[in-house]
Amino acid sequence: MSTPADRAQYGQNLLEIRGLRVAYGNSRRDAVEVVHGIDLSIRPGERLAVVGESGSGKSVTARAVLGLDTDASLSGSIRLGEHELTTLSRRRMRDIRGARIGLIFQDPLAALNPVMRVGWQIMQPLIIRGTGKREARQRGIDLLGRLGVRDAGARFDDYPHQFSGGMRQRVVIAIAVIAQPELLIADEPTTALDVRVQAQVLQLLDELARERGMAVMLITHDLGIVAGFAERVVVMRNGRVVEHGDVDSIYAAPKAEYTRGLLGAVPRLDSDPDRELATVAPDWDAS
Amino acid sequence: MTVPPLSAAERLVGTGLGGTVPAPDQADPRRPNGSHARSRRRTRGPAAEQLAVAAAIVIVLVAVVGPWLAPHDPYTVDLTQQLRSPSTGHWFGTDVNGRDILSRVLAGARATLSATAIVLAVATIVGTLIGTVAALSRTIIDEILMRICDIGLALPSIVLALGLAAALGPSLRSAVIAMAATWWPGYARLVRAVVRETRDAEFVDSARMLGVGRMRLVLRHVLPNSLSILYVQVSLDVAAVMLTISGLSFIGVGAQVPSAEWGAMISAAAGNVGNGWWAVLFPGLAIAFTAITFNLVGDWLRVRTDPTLRERA
Amino acid sequence: MTGRSEVLLEVDGLVQRYPGTRNAAVDDVSFQIRIGETLGLVGESGCGKSTTARCIAGLTRPTGGTVRLGTRDVLSASRSALKSLRRDMQMVFQDPYSSLNPRMTVADLVGEGLLVHGLRPERRARRDRVVELLDMVGLPASSLERRPRSFSGGQRQRIAIARALAVEPRLLICDEPVSSLDVSVQAQVLNLFKKLRTQLGLSMLFIAHDLAVVRYLCDQVAVMQSGRIVEIGSRDQVYGAPRHHYTRELLAAVPVPDPPVERERMRTFRISEEST
Repeated sequence: MSTPADRAQYGQNLLEIRGLRVAYGNSRRDAVEVVHGIDLSIRPGERLAVVGESGSGKSVTARAVLGLDTDASLSGSIRLGEHELTTLSRRRMRDIRGARIGLIFQDPLAALNPVMRVGWQIMQPLIIRGTGKREARQRGIDLLGRLGVRDAGARFDDYPHQFSGGMRQRVVIAIAVIAQPELLIADEPTTALDVRVQAQVLQLLDELARERGMAVMLITHDLGIVAGFAERVVVMRNGRVVEHGDVDSIYAAPKAEYTRGLLGAVPRLDSDPDRELATVAPDWDAS
Repeated sequence: MTVPPLSAAERLVGTGLGGTVPAPDQADPRRPNGSHARSRRRTRGPAAEQLAVAAAIVIVLVAVVGPWLAPHDPYTVDLTQQLRSPSTGHWFGTDVNGRDILSRVLAGARATLSATAIVLAVATIVGTLIGTVAALSRTIIDEILMRICDIGLALPSIVLALGLAAALGPSLRSAVIAMAATWWPGYARLVRAVVRETRDAEFVDSARMLGVGRMRLVLRHVLPNSLSILYVQVSLDVAAVMLTISGLSFIGVGAQVPSAEWGAMISAAAGNVGNGWWAVLFPGLAIAFTAITFNLVGDWLRVRTDPTLRERA
Repeated sequence: MTGRSEVLLEVDGLVQRYPGTRNAAVDDVSFQIRIGETLGLVGESGCGKSTTARCIAGLTRPTGGTVRLGTRDVLSASRSALKSLRRDMQMVFQDPYSSLNPRMTVADLVGEGLLVHGLRPERRARRDRVVELLDMVGLPASSLERRPRSFSGGQRQRIAIARALAVEPRLLICDEPVSSLDVSVQAQVLNLFKKLRTQLGLSMLFIAHDLAVVRYLCDQVAVMQSGRIVEIGSRDQVYGAPRHHYTRELLAAVPVPDPPVERERMRTFRISEEST
């Protein structure tokens, strides 16, 4: 976690989103707006969690930051340092992805190319930016070792199917952070993993972000992992921010009714199992 | 070759990551099913589909009443009217024997369409039956049926047609028998692949768990969710079958001169195309028009019969 | 609460071994479920918990072992005996997007059990019963003619529950029934399970990977690892005083939605061996 001194030093926001609206659809007429004007910001080195259920727009927001959906129309502003991302050319956007913003997807299997050696996939972000092959390889092996892959030098030339789920997610993390981005966007990075592996991967992300002073935007539905990982939390629902604040005060005293409901809906190991779970109302699912 | 796109799409739907798909206006537009349904609707408006269905009805009607619509007798040879170009008297012109081409196209609709329909109907029924049985049987029966399919696939319809022509005499009927006998194995393989996929779907387990009997399981759960891919294949094959029948007529083992079958008409006129392009063009247009129409109808059918593409709250 | 009531399901020495694999997917699994009791079967992916459920349900034939429902043997049951067993034992599947036939209406889906078991042969009576079942799981009668496509995940799982309960089973096997649902929807479905269990006196076998969910719903808990049950006991025992180190490790890995507690847990969590 960053100390107050750090914050004073990095007074400015690394990422600042203002009034972001995202709509999908080809023509103006049948466009469907899924994010309705949200504000959020991340300071350098800060850990922000964007929490919401499906349809909340949390992933859409992350994809908008990266400019991943070509059929999405954006309005409002996304600033990364001195760049305004919503109006950036595709070429410039490519430079920013990978170099300044890293991305981890939910499904480590889908995120890796099955016919390419993992080492090559890890080195790629460096090679594209002109790093020499030998140096890129060394840095890749070092990073993979740092991420807890045993015998990283030998495993570097394996293919993705030779790795287990947890190890694959480490490879995905390595690809995302090898070019030393200032911001890492992790979209449900542990949802596909078993609980013990999830704990390990989160620990690793935590350590790595600390070591490198990297900001992390954690997109998730899991209020449990948010509690230990994030410093600040943004709660989204139906494309709007319903609550934001620092993690301790949101969990201790949630202001929005939706946040309260969400927190009460999670079964937890330290609560009375005979007390009925809260349900969030009103909901399309309530009948 | 037979990777069924339907089941792949269904699997995508199945792994829908989040739980709630609330009101459609809230649904994530990047969901594969959502975007799929949308792109389908964008590529072809309902007007085109309705038009195609109307055209198909007209074609079938022509096949039924065609001979009575014909302005001239399609078989009367009139050597004074040889190779006349299209005019008010003969809208499509006349062929080398002075027969009215419009009349022959109208009369030929029945021969061509019924031959195509018979081939496809037999192939569909036999293919579905064999494919389903193979997919749901133990390994040995599956193996035997699939080897039979391989034999059928290895045997070109032309060779079989030549054999049948030698045995039964050359006729449209021998051509149809030869075509049907060589066309079903492809369908059997397709159906087997899709049914195997559907068989492992969770809703089939759910039905088994409920105690649903074997017949109902196949007829109510497995087949309805497997066959939409077959509709598409059949509609695409309308053109191929029509052309193959024409080809067989061309080499002399199909419809015989002077029968007014579209393919036979083209092959008869092909040698004279420099002097009478219309004698080739109009039957050719009839084949093309029919093929395109049935492609569109097949597509429409698929969307109509596949609730995963249709029903959105 | 459990007392010493009668045993409803008895699984003994269940083994499932697939050809060409070294280790059995299910390796000598034994447990009992008493009437009115809910047993939670927890474990990580690939531990064999779903295979166990499928063997018990008679959807997969195991390599060895016995499964008894009441006095009847499930695994050696003839086709007709199995069909009558299905009336007493039903299943709710994981993914409500694929466990409902997309071509059938809700009326047909929920009424299918009634139809194939001849419980309400008359169409009208069947429809009335379907409406009753829908009401029980919290869906309006206006859902009858709609197809699964137009329902959300949580609503679909309610349909699946109504479909399973239509034949009035004594045992409900649930294979990860809430793992694909959103948190708030998951809470609704879990509460529904609790309500129905009391209302209908159901016994349940509840398969899940989420230890907190199992704790919320189950009286008895069995922990599976690599095809074996490593620990089985009452909820209070397994969660309060876990005996096996694997159970302890699983419990230590579960995130707690309480920032100070969770930060501390994350700092101290260590996995005993690189088992991933």
